[in-house]
Amino acid sequence: MRELYEFAVGPMAWAAFGVFLIGSVIRLISMYSLARKKDGPFLSYMSWRFGLRSILNWLIPFNAQGWKENPLVCVTTFVFHLGLILVPLFLLGHVVLWDQYWGFSYPTLPEQAADIFTIAVIVACLVFAWRRATNRTLRFVTTGQDWLVLLIAFLPFLTGFLASQHVGPPLVMTTLHVLSGELMLMAIPFTRLSHMIFGLFSRAYMGSEFGGVRHAKDW
Amino acid sequence: MGIEQRRIDDAGLARGMAALTPEKIAKTFQALIAGECGARLRTYVETCMRCGMCGPACHYFLSHDGDPSYAPVGKVSETMWKLLKADGKVDPRVIGDCAQIAYTECNLCRRCMHYCPLGIDTAYIISVVRRLCHKLGVTPMYIQDTAHSHSATLNQMWVKDDEWTDSLQWQEDEARSEFPDLRIPLEMEGADFMYSVIAPEPKFRTQLIYQAAAIFHTAGCNWTMPGTPGWDNSNMAMFSGDAEIMGRVERYHFETAQRLRVKRIVMGECGHAFRAVYDVGNRWLGWKMHPVPVVHSIEFFWELLDQGKIRMASKYPGPVTIHDPCNVIRGRGLMDKLREVVNHICDGVVEMSPNREHNLCCCAGGGVINCGPPFKNVRIVGNKAKADQLKATGVQTCIAPCHNCHGGLEDIIHHYKLGMKLKFLGDIIYEHMEKPGAV
Amino acid sequence: MRRVNVVAAALLLAGLVWALPALSQEDMKTVPNAAFGTPQRSAAVFQHDLHNEKAKLDDCGACHHGDDGGKPDPASPTPGQPCAECHPVDAKGKTPLMRAFHRQCVGCHHDSGKGPLTCGECHT
Repeated sequence: MRELYEFAVGPMAWAAFGVFLIGSVIRLISMYSLARKKDGPFLSYMSWRFGLRSILNWLIPFNAQGWKENPLVCVTTFVFHLGLILVPLFLLGHVVLWDQYWGFSYPTLPEQAADIFTIAVIVACLVFAWRRATNRTLRFVTTGQDWLVLLIAFLPFLTGFLASQHVGPPLVMTTLHVLSGELMLMAIPFTRLSHMIFGLFSRAYMGSEFGGVRHAKDW
Repeated sequence: MGIEQRRIDDAGLARGMAALTPEKIAKTFQALIAGECGARLRTYVETCMRCGMCGPACHYFLSHDGDPSYAPVGKVSETMWKLLKADGKVDPRVIGDCAQIAYTECNLCRRCMHYCPLGIDTAYIISVVRRLCHKLGVTPMYIQDTAHSHSATLNQMWVKDDEWTDSLQWQEDEARSEFPDLRIPLEMEGADFMYSVIAPEPKFRTQLIYQAAAIFHTAGCNWTMPGTPGWDNSNMAMFSGDAEIMGRVERYHFETAQRLRVKRIVMGECGHAFRAVYDVGNRWLGWKMHPVPVVHSIEFFWELLDQGKIRMASKYPGPVTIHDPCNVIRGRGLMDKLREVVNHICDGVVEMSPNREHNLCCCAGGGVINCGPPFKNVRIVGNKAKADQLKATGVQTCIAPCHNCHGGLEDIIHHYKLGMKLKFLGDIIYEHMEKPGAV
Repeated sequence: MRRVNVVAAALLLAGLVWALPALSQEDMKTVPNAAFGTPQRSAAVFQHDLHNEKAKLDDCGACHHGDDGGKPDPASPTPGQPCAECHPVDAKGKTPLMRAFHRQCVGCHHDSGKGPLTCGECHT
């Protein structure tokens, strides 16, 4: 287990960040060149102003019509993504690792806040799973990958929370946590989680079309 | 639940399916994806999180008690995803189902754009499905007939060249009994604007041409209509997936305006025609925006009223409600001008809820009404939501500045016994304006 | 307000009574963390004598190192000197206390292949 942990925080960490960063860059570049090649005329409508306008408006809870009419999804999605960004980046235990290995650190979340965000993400995952299992529309369109990516996002938070609460052997839990986090990083460029890379662009494109050409809002 | 339970016999679909082989489908599909699709389709398909938020965006979904097969994501799942997963290796029956979904169960109204956090353009995906069906020859008979008409005559309704000018002269004659010096100027080079209409106007709604001429005459406009093909601004080829004919029709339309050296094109109260010239046809032809300025009637009437060229003698007794057509509201942002015009010419407005960009579709546009009688009930049953919305306003008159919307709303008003009157802006302006030159 | 002050004073006193024995190395159970003010995690478990016995550590300088131009110097041991003297909590440009602790402990555990590595093994 010791060796596995050392592997997870050593070579595997390099591999995971490498796959995530290089993979994301490659996917972005190849998608952009595909867009240049095949959707060139449509790229020409991209506008910073209307793209950002659209993104900002969609970042306000209950602002867009879709959020208004799907209140549960709205709350769950915002809570989930907020935790998903804040906890990995600003958890004390994570920053300590940067500090220990690379000698730099930055402000962190209070532990209690991190606990609350983590629990919120876990609950949000359960809400997503519950909807996927019970909602008629979701059942109609859900594929195996939808469950898989939900599980991939869920595991690092579950194992991280258990490890932080000293449930189970710390070394085993922490190793599982690190590995599941690395799995998620590596999955981002190659699964539906790639909406993290492409989502802002598809939103900005729609915002540009609606704002710049159609003179209507798209939220 | 699912298209299998609601297949409708259509001669065009049946004939198309009978001529297909799985090999032909796969080959055509793969060529379409490789040749015409790119980053947009790939991104949309990959990043859709299957969250189901788009369900309540769709009037079909709302009208069918949340049947998931009518949700935008459900329709995409039953068509494009299914085809992509099989790499096009599907039976002809699947193409028939795709065609029925894409042509008759989606109006391409883009209301779902307001529901998808990732900005996935469902209407675009459905358009690609239509494009495939067109390439495979599996299209509903009636809409295909209009596309054929566009191809042969450059108008939607097989109006022959002489019938067109005859109809205009007939309406000019009629109107001269009210305005003795009224003209419908044909082929007048250098006029301020070319007025273009959809083919159903000369075919069976000729009074709309009369009304428009009366308004332009009263306002003292310097206008013209073309005497040649290119006068029809409608474009059903755009909805059948026949981009080549679509582009040809638009090119003739723009070139006719350029030949007449007019400053701009003013379009009648039609939504899809506006979409065709504003952000579809021009793009196909390589123009970022329309090569000739294009103004929709809503905006043109707004100008005439704003500049005092038309004065209202009375107001239409209200209250009225306003239907926001997708192609000029979500497609052009004319919701404020529409309201200003309606408030100016009518006595009181009761807004529908939701309205403006979020207004529910008429369920006729996007070529759905053009799929003809076999699918009439699809539209009517599929738009109970709109009927409820109309009914909730409690008013007697609905204003809809779009031909397709008129067609769709007329049917649901009749079917759900709403007892409402349906009006174009031109109807009311013509009826209630000051007519100094009239006898 | 006065009652709050009294309670706080009592707590402080109790804390001191509890903390004082920890300063004597023989009974040391945890790594002293008073320099951190209000630390977010519990003090790291560390039984000094037991640890050194198990780790067969006789040389104080292995942990209580001296300073050799900004680098740790095991040859000049500094037992008895609080770590925080050279490694303040906010050491700009030098090694701050928390990093010093983590590197000292985890680094050695890593190199020797023995001893805890993950958060929950020390901060129990």
